[in-house]
Amino acid sequence: MDTSGQQTFISRVRSALGHNSTNRPGSNDLCTGQFTAETGAILDRIKHRSAADRQQLLDRLIEMAAPINLKVTVLKDRVAATTSIVDLIQNKAPEWGDQKKVVMWQHPLLESLNLADALAAQNVPLYVADFEDADAEEVSMNQQRERIRKKVTDAYIGITSADYCMADTASLVMRTRPGQARSVSLVPSIHVAVIHLDQVILDLKELYALLQWNPDVQKEGLTNCMTFISGPSKTADVEATMVHGAHGPREVYVHVISD
Amino acid sequence: MSEVFIGDYLAEARKALDNQVLQRALADLQNRFGRGTAMAYQNLPEGPDLRLKAHEIRQNAIANLDVLLTTLADNVRKNGGHVFFAGDAKDAVNYCLETAHRHQAKLAVKGKSMVSEEIGLNSTLQENGIEVAETDLGEYIIQLAGERPSHIIAPAIHKTRTDIGQLFSDIIGISYTDDPPSLTRAARKALREKFLAADIGFSGCNIACAETGHIVTVSNEGNIRMSTTMPKVHVAIMGMERVAARLEDHDILLRLLCRGAAAQNMGTYVSYIGGPRQTNQVDGPIEFHLVILDNGRSRILADEEFREMLCCIRCAACLNVCPVYGKIGGHAYGHPYSGPVGAVIMPLFAGINAAKHLCQGETLCGACQDACPVNINIPRMLLALRAKLAEGDLRWNVDPASRPEKLIYQMWSWMIRNRSAYDFFLKMASIGQKILPQSNGMLRRLPPPMSGWTQSRDIPPVANECFIRRWKKGI
Repeated sequence: MDTSGQQTFISRVRSALGHNSTNRPGSNDLCTGQFTAETGAILDRIKHRSAADRQQLLDRLIEMAAPINLKVTVLKDRVAATTSIVDLIQNKAPEWGDQKKVVMWQHPLLESLNLADALAAQNVPLYVADFEDADAEEVSMNQQRERIRKKVTDAYIGITSADYCMADTASLVMRTRPGQARSVSLVPSIHVAVIHLDQVILDLKELYALLQWNPDVQKEGLTNCMTFISGPSKTADVEATMVHGAHGPREVYVHVISD
Repeated sequence: MSEVFIGDYLAEARKALDNQVLQRALADLQNRFGRGTAMAYQNLPEGPDLRLKAHEIRQNAIANLDVLLTTLADNVRKNGGHVFFAGDAKDAVNYCLETAHRHQAKLAVKGKSMVSEEIGLNSTLQENGIEVAETDLGEYIIQLAGERPSHIIAPAIHKTRTDIGQLFSDIIGISYTDDPPSLTRAARKALREKFLAADIGFSGCNIACAETGHIVTVSNEGNIRMSTTMPKVHVAIMGMERVAARLEDHDILLRLLCRGAAAQNMGTYVSYIGGPRQTNQVDGPIEFHLVILDNGRSRILADEEFREMLCCIRCAACLNVCPVYGKIGGHAYGHPYSGPVGAVIMPLFAGINAAKHLCQGETLCGACQDACPVNINIPRMLLALRAKLAEGDLRWNVDPASRPEKLIYQMWSWMIRNRSAYDFFLKMASIGQKILPQSNGMLRRLPPPMSGWTQSRDIPPVANECFIRRWKKGI
C-alpha cells in the first residue's frame, strides 16, 4: 500500500498539467545529465592544466576569498603547512573553555602532517574524528555519536581537507565519508582546511562535470551530504550589520600546499 | 492548521508608514540589497540575460513536475531517505509530529523555512509538548518577541537593535547591550545549547535535484547545517515546485539564487543532503525525511495564467526593490509571504477577494521582474488578478470586487463611444465641479460613489473647454 501519499499527489499534479501519463516523449531523459561538447571541453581543461593555469586559478581564489573573509595561505610543502597550523594554535585562544583542543579528520594528507607530535609538545590534545571500535555492533551507534559530539564541542579548532576548492566563489567542497565527520568543519570556532594546489578548480560547472562524468568522482557521487563552505559563518540580522560567527566557525583558513 | 492569512492591509500599511524607524530600516535594506543585486547580475560572466535562461529551466521543470517529483522521491529512497507527499498543511504537520513522537522528541531545532511558516509547524509541535527553537538569528529574534517575519530573508528587519537588546536582556537574561556583535554572540551561545540538545531538526529546501536525489539548503549563519547534522532525525519540508531536473541546472540556479537573495556570489553554506548518514559514518542524522507539499500549488499549476508563479525560488529580491514593500513593510501582506511575490501568491492561496488589497496595492512598475533571478513576470499576474477582481471569476470563486465600479466603467465605456453624451458629460462636469473643494488647482474630493478615489489623492479638474473645441478655434 502506498502510505507516502505519492500516487494521489502525483496524479493530481499530472492532471493539473493536463497529461495522462508520466511516460511521454522525452520524459525519460528529463532528469539525466547530458554530455555535451562543452562538458567534454571542461573535463579536458581540468585534466590538462599547466602550472601557469594552476597559478592563475590560485590567484583567482585569493582574489575571491578576500571580500568574504576566507583566509587563503599558500604553503610550499607539508612541513610549512604543519608549522603554519601550529602557529595558529599557539596564537588563537579557545572561545568556550580554557583548554586548547583540536579535532581533525582521518585523512591521508592530514595524517602526513604529523600534527600529533607537533601538538604534543604544546600539550594540546589532538582528536581524530574516526569510527572507534569499527567492529562493534549497532548498539554502539549512540556511543559513536556521543564521542564525536564530545570531540567537536571540546575542540576549538577543526582541521579538515576538502575534495575541491572552487576559485570563482572561494568555496571549499566537501563530501562526507567515514572518518570525515561533517561536524569538524562546523562546530569548532575555527576551521582550517588543508588542500593541494591541484584540488583548486574553477567553478560550479567544473565541479558538476567532474561529479557526473569523471569515473572516479562519479563512483562516489555526491554522497549523503556534500557541502560548500565559502568563508566564515555570518549574519546581518541585527539592523543589517554584518557580524562573523553566527553559528558556524568564526574564522576559516584554507592552506594550499603548492609542491 | 494552515497559517496562511490575510491581515488588515490598510491598517498595517498605515501603521508602517507612521513608523519612522521602520521607514529608515526599509530604505536602508532596499538601498543596499536592491542595488547590490542589480550590480551582481551585471557582473555575471554571462550578463543579466542569464535570468532568461534560468526562467526557461524553471518553466521546464514546472511543466514536468510529475516526472521530476517521482524521480526525486525514487532517488531519495534509494539513498535511504523517507519521502512523504503532503496534500495540505494538515498532512504535512501531522507527518512531522508523528515522526517527532516516534523518536520521543522534546526539543526541535529549525532552520529558516517559509514553507514551515505556511503550514504552521511551530504551533502544532508546541501544542503537543515539543519545544521548537528557531535558529536563524532573525527568526530567533521574532520568535522571542512572539511576532511574525516581515521579510522572506531578513525576517526581523522591523526590529531595531534597541528592541533586540531589550528582548535579549528580558528573555535570555543577558545584561542589556545594543551592540550587534554582542547580541549575535549571546544568540550563538544560547542556540549552541539547543543544537546540541535537540532530538530532531527541521529545515526547508531551496532547490532539490531530481537526478541525484538531494535537497539543497543555503544559509550564511550555519544554523541549517547545525540543524541537519547534530540531531538524530532530520525532516526537510519543500514546496512541490522547488525542484530542478538535473545537477547541471543547479549551476545557473544557485548562482542566481545567491545573487537575488543577498547579492552574494555564493551563500556561505550550501549543502546537498540526500539521505541519512551511512552506518560507518560518525555523524549526521540516523533518519532523513523529505516532506513534499502541495497545499494549493496544484491549483496554481492547473491555471496557465498563474503557473509561472511556481518558478519562484523565494529569494526575496523583489521585496528589496518594490516601492510598495519599501514603504509598507511585510506585515501588511499578512502571513507568510510578503512583497510582490506575496501579492500574487497570497491571493491564490487565501482567496483573491480576501487578498484584493495586496494585488491592487502594487504599482505595476516592473521593478520586481527586473530584480527576479528567474525573470518572473509578476506585473502580468498582478494585472490578471485585478482583472478577475473587476470581472469576477468562477474558477477561483471571485466575486467582482465592486459592482458600482463595474457599472461606472460600463457607463463610461458607452459614453466615450457617443460624442454627444461625452460632450454633455464634460459640460456638466465642468459646471458641477465648481461646488467641489479645490486647492492648488486640484479637486480635493469627489462626490460618492467616486469619493473613495480622492480619499488619499487629488484629481485635476475638467477643463472649461475641451481640447477639440480649442483646436478648431486655432487654440
